[in-house]
Amino acid sequence: MAVTATTDIGSVEVRGVWKEYALASQRPRTLKEAVVEALRGRLPERPRTWALQDVGFRIEPGESFGIIGTNGSGKSTLLKLLTGISKPTRGTVDVHGKVSALLELGAGFHPDFSGRENTFLNGAILGLSRKEVAERYDRIVAFAELADHIDQPVKTYSSGMYMRLAFSIAVHVEPEILIIDEVLAVGDAAFQKKCIERIRGFRREGRTIIFVSHSHGQVAELCSRAAWIDSGVLRAVGPCEDVLAQYEAHLAGTGV
Amino acid sequence: MTTRPWLAYREMFLGLVEREVRARYRGSFLGFLWSLLNPLLLMGIYSLVFSVFMRIQVPHYALMLFTGLLPWTWFSTSLANGTASITANANLIKKVYFPLEILPLVSVSTNWVNFLFSLPVLGLFLAWEGLGPGWAILGLPLLMALQFLLTLGVNLFLATLNAFYKDVEQLLGPVLMAWFYLTPVVYPLSMLPSDYAWLIHVNPMAPLVSAYQDLFLKGQWPGSPALALAALETIVIVLLGWLFFRRRKFIFAEVV
Repeated sequence: MAVTATTDIGSVEVRGVWKEYALASQRPRTLKEAVVEALRGRLPERPRTWALQDVGFRIEPGESFGIIGTNGSGKSTLLKLLTGISKPTRGTVDVHGKVSALLELGAGFHPDFSGRENTFLNGAILGLSRKEVAERYDRIVAFAELADHIDQPVKTYSSGMYMRLAFSIAVHVEPEILIIDEVLAVGDAAFQKKCIERIRGFRREGRTIIFVSHSHGQVAELCSRAAWIDSGVLRAVGPCEDVLAQYEAHLAGTGV
Repeated sequence: MTTRPWLAYREMFLGLVEREVRARYRGSFLGFLWSLLNPLLLMGIYSLVFSVFMRIQVPHYALMLFTGLLPWTWFSTSLANGTASITANANLIKKVYFPLEILPLVSVSTNWVNFLFSLPVLGLFLAWEGLGPGWAILGLPLLMALQFLLTLGVNLFLATLNAFYKDVEQLLGPVLMAWFYLTPVVYPLSMLPSDYAWLIHVNPMAPLVSAYQDLFLKGQWPGSPALALAALETIVIVLLGWLFFRRRKFIFAEVV
């Protein structure tokens, strides 16, 4: 390849990442507590708790990569680092390309505004210009199956309609890297099928997909490689079947 | 990190300002007229108390009040919105990456738009009384730019503090009340006893509000030494505020 691997658009490189937990109980939450703490002098050195410990892996452009782990394993923390919402305590996260995460469903939706108005605002928040939203507008509305309701305020929408619109905007951002956080339980079965189809389409177009889940099924269906995180530690990374097998064995309590 | 350049967030910024400006009055019968009615009602109350009951002898007292109340309302409402801007948008900042500076910036900008909306009415009042700024109106952008930066700087401090200590929101009411009376809105700057003259050097809003009044009522070009000092203080406040905010913004998603 002509370009060095580290600058490939659509690649993700996580190197030696540690992330410290910001436990709510460990930081002063009111001025009174802060003053008391200041008067007492520095609190005794508290033990550091890590949400992620020395996690590292690389995702190639165009790859479908699964991240699995039980609830509280550190998946969500890792996700926040990948989207740039928070920063690692140690180590580096390099994401090359435009990221859209399907955990941003309905970011900035205002209940009093119509579906149309919210589409433009949400699109802007997800990084599209007005012109780009306008180009995609008809497709977004058609995909969400909301043509009859698009000019009604979203507070009149059912939760299904709301999620359909949000999902539709998110998948029309056309990012180089798509992060999906087990939100595929959107709408009815038919709509879910459409969502899976859309994600398959992304894969065919050569976009990178990161799929985060605690369940085995959809990861096996969508991903070629995977990483398993347990208590903030990377337990396995490699071909999807191998990693899933280890994860399953661990859940069954038979192995590892 | 995949960060879009700052300019790419222009659309998001404009979208949020538009949302805020329109959302404020949506559902109210009088709509944006409220941004005029509020200062008008305040003007009525203060005129009654200070001009009728306490018999302050100041020419064009009601107009002086109105001229001071408009920038003050911009300032105080921006601070009230801006202080809560991080905590109120917790949902957004936990889901999407964007330069969080946008949020306090939106608060200042939204209220600036409201300020602009109310200027035509001020113009009508001035014309009615046969007063007006004349060519000094060209100095208005300077005053607005100064106030914009000052408000933004204070907002960056307050929004950061409030993300960690919600007490700031509670404290803001009394603080703004004190700040209001230490700023020459209900009295002209010239009535300030000489023992307290130093106040205008530590409160940049004092020479600023006074400059608005001189500009609109007397057609005086802004340029008092006190205003120059306020400009200097503003630059310091906005730089320190930005540093303060920047150093902590990546923890916001974890603490709000």
